[in-house]
Amino acid sequence: MKSIYRTILIVALSSILVLATAAGVHAYTASNQSSPGEGNDLIAQAPPEPENDTCFQCHVVEEYTNIWTPLGRWALFGVAGLILLFGIARSASVWRSKSEWVPIPTRILAWIDERYQLSEFMKPILAKPVPDWQRRWWYCLGGLTFTLFLIQGITGIMLAFYYKPTPTEAYASIQFIENEVLLGSTFRMIHHWSANGMIVMAFAHMLRVFIMGAYKPPRELNWVSGVTLLVMTLAFGFTGYLLPWDQRAYWATTVGTEIGGSIPIIGDLALVFLRGGWSITSLTLSRFFAAHILILPLVTVGFMGLHFIMVRKQGVMKPL
Amino acid sequence: MSENNEEKSVPFYPDHVALEAKVALGLIILVVIIGVIGLFAPVGLGAPADAMDTPAHIKPEWYFLALYQLLRYIPETIGATSPVLAVVLLLIWPFLDQKPDRSKKTTEIRFWLSLVAVIIIIALTIWGKVS
Repeated sequence: MKSIYRTILIVALSSILVLATAAGVHAYTASNQSSPGEGNDLIAQAPPEPENDTCFQCHVVEEYTNIWTPLGRWALFGVAGLILLFGIARSASVWRSKSEWVPIPTRILAWIDERYQLSEFMKPILAKPVPDWQRRWWYCLGGLTFTLFLIQGITGIMLAFYYKPTPTEAYASIQFIENEVLLGSTFRMIHHWSANGMIVMAFAHMLRVFIMGAYKPPRELNWVSGVTLLVMTLAFGFTGYLLPWDQRAYWATTVGTEIGGSIPIIGDLALVFLRGGWSITSLTLSRFFAAHILILPLVTVGFMGLHFIMVRKQGVMKPL
Repeated sequence: MSENNEEKSVPFYPDHVALEAKVALGLIILVVIIGVIGLFAPVGLGAPADAMDTPAHIKPEWYFLALYQLLRYIPETIGATSPVLAVVLLLIWPFLDQKPDRSKKTTEIRFWLSLVAVIIIIALTIWGKVS
């Protein structure tokens, strides 16, 4: 287990290093290429330069006007020094007592566990043996879908920091993300491609379950929750597609909602529900944005919980 | 589980979790590579949305292309209802087919069934892409 922690640490650190290096190289190579307002109408208005940005400036200038800033810094660095002294004293006492060294993360976990009694609750879940036939790549597809969902969550939050869900600003805010925000185009690219990957993985997972007949009793509800999750994934794709507010997004959504509108009996209701009116307006954008970042994630996480609990309880179906 | 008692098995934690974490890490490395490519070749944007200007060829994302291509050649009402019915059929499928498998034959039948479905979907997608 130690090796996997080390691997995770190495991969995380080298990912950060690679991204930071790439961002630096990109900033260096792209600095002379694009200057905003070069007569290209499609380039968004650049944000104000730091020296013209009053709000940016007001936090930095005139910092030393009172006694509290230096006092606060003395307190901060003093506490850091005390923590360092405590660490030295603690190491010395452990060394002198000749007792076994317990790493700090283990001690923290033990301390929390003493209070919450979590290990008693987790033991039956974690101790369950996994048979060897289950350690094959085609049983990984569901887990990979979940990994991609987590990546979508993280990159989606990053994009939501800068995205503005109004027709006048959505397009420009995406240009801002791609051209100005540090690693903004990276996060948009990852969000775009893991969305595609998630659909492929979820579909492959469903095919695997279908072919092996793993939906049969007692696993019917797991199949039902899985199909719901696939529909949710497609709904994520459909709602997320409108958000850039470019021609493709606008007209693909027009056609897509029209399909919903031609269902018999409930068609008009579905159309108005999807568009927030008879045509695609700022209301459509707001409601697609709300669905994309609030409703769908909550529903998806709920169904994922049910899905995973049932998998752990019933186990993976053994093939013939 | 009683059926697995005689089989070789590993504990879920830490052995199986470690395996799954390795697979997930491989995926994350791929994602980081995609992200670095994104810095130099971003996803990009089309022209800004204009409600007055209908483009000549509107195509949805690839995962809706098969449905889109299907809808071009069948009547609108059936076309709009069929995806809903397909999802409902998928949802109630386990309640229609409850017989436990006795032989490998049913697995084979389901394999060919899903192969045909996948080939139809891929064919429709490619057709929608090139048309």
